[in-house]
Amino acid sequence: MMDLNAPTSALDARPAGGLWHDLYPELGTGPLDTAGLTSPEQFEREREHIFRKVWLTVGRVEQIPNPGDYFVQDIAVCKTSIIVVRGKDHRIRAFHNICSHRGNKLVWNARGSGQMFTCKLHCWSYGLDGQLRHVPDRDSFFNLDDASLALTPVAVDEWEGFVFVNLAPQPATSLAEYLGKLGTSLAGYPFDVLSASSASWTFEVKANWKVVKDAFQEVYHVPFLHKRSIPDSFTSKSNPFAHLLHMELLDQHARISLFGNAEFQPTPVAATAFRHGSFAVRNEYSDSRLPAGVNPSRHPAWAFDLNVVFPCLILAVSEGSYFTHQFWPVAVDRTVWKSTQYFPKACTAGQRFSQEYGHMIFRDVILEDGNVLEETQSVLASGAKKTFVLHDEELLVRHSHHVIARMTRESEAGVST
Amino acid sequence: MSISVLPAAFADLEIWAAWSLPTEAQRSARRQTVLFAEIEAFYHAMLARIDAALAHLDQTPVDALPEAEQRLMDLCLSLAEVAPAVEQFRQPQVVDGFAITRVTMDRLG
Repeated sequence: MMDLNAPTSALDARPAGGLWHDLYPELGTGPLDTAGLTSPEQFEREREHIFRKVWLTVGRVEQIPNPGDYFVQDIAVCKTSIIVVRGKDHRIRAFHNICSHRGNKLVWNARGSGQMFTCKLHCWSYGLDGQLRHVPDRDSFFNLDDASLALTPVAVDEWEGFVFVNLAPQPATSLAEYLGKLGTSLAGYPFDVLSASSASWTFEVKANWKVVKDAFQEVYHVPFLHKRSIPDSFTSKSNPFAHLLHMELLDQHARISLFGNAEFQPTPVAATAFRHGSFAVRNEYSDSRLPAGVNPSRHPAWAFDLNVVFPCLILAVSEGSYFTHQFWPVAVDRTVWKSTQYFPKACTAGQRFSQEYGHMIFRDVILEDGNVLEETQSVLASGAKKTFVLHDEELLVRHSHHVIARMTRESEAGVST
Repeated sequence: MSISVLPAAFADLEIWAAWSLPTEAQRSARRQTVLFAEIEAFYHAMLARIDAALAHLDQTPVDALPEAEQRLMDLCLSLAEVAPAVEQFRQPQVVDGFAITRVTMDRLG
């Protein structure tokens, strides 16, 4: 039986006495160049060579359960707005949100349900399959070719209920290929059951998307930035710096496992919430047959995993719930960051209360995270610091920047990735 | 004489009825705008009754609560809203936090 009070090294999943960086020597250990966080040219490169080419998650199937249901996702970095709709045939399709007549934005609300999409300007109407269905005063047009006037489709696919789009006219890989081992290793996690209800918080932040993302893919900050909100959830006497239990890179994606403190002292309301249900983080390990990609090291002190799905999605999974962070670039120093916490359906008031407390702690923790982002961007702009130095446990930050550089280099050279 | 909104067994909580708010945006706005002394007083009053309140409410599926019970449920949710302010931050706002007034909240399901 593992002694959870043993010094950190006894809990460590790293090679004995080693560092996470020892597992990935090709990434090096040197300083990280900061220019990419403030450079408009780099932002354009990322737009062209990454965001226009990769699979991007836009939502979940539960948002559009019935034929006619739709939602809209603005993707500023690709200079577009996308309608995601469930057709009469139950298939999910995606289209650029623009009328074929004279370019009016077709759907103006964030979500809804209907039989057709009708443009406000001249009432051109399209079916749920994107086909042009009706043109008022059609005889006053010249040789309309309806097939060529359908809504412009966007590649769309699903993985475990997450809906992804790809803005490339011909995506270089399928979604399954893109997700690779990260995707296959999480298959079977009960996302559907756990997606019955959700709470989301959206922030417009004056910071580069990578500044925002990097804040969430390391836990070195936890004992300091979160000393008020979660002082003892992810640290202990034996693990004061929240050292990770596991870390692995999965091609362009990555995964880390967080330590949970079994001696965490709940506050009175937290204890009440525990009595009536469970919320975001549980410190009990149980053999509940989670897929191989969840707590891959099967560590008894496991709290939850952060899966970083390149480029801009973090998918965090625990035993009884999961959450996501998405970082949508808007400009070199502007990002729309959205965090969503998912729970199974609450059937009783006790469960409802417990989940609400989980939402509140999650929200107030990310409000702590959010505060540093704009301040960081504002002083980065000075150019006073040309490099960052990275801690061993900040390997995911290093990896993320490495993948961005590799992908843009290969794309510029015309090599498909 | 003021109108009772809560179930009769929780008449003692009527003075806190202004905290019975149906959405996170409303509960959060109240936490950000009232004095901390009131937040703390509400927290202690509600904490003393939360187990009894949830036991009362647990008798009915949470999607089918009658009006007075729904008001009591919303009061319980306000306890969740203010708990971090009292237990962690000792002030209404997250200490050194991103301004919650800039955040868009959404609930599905």
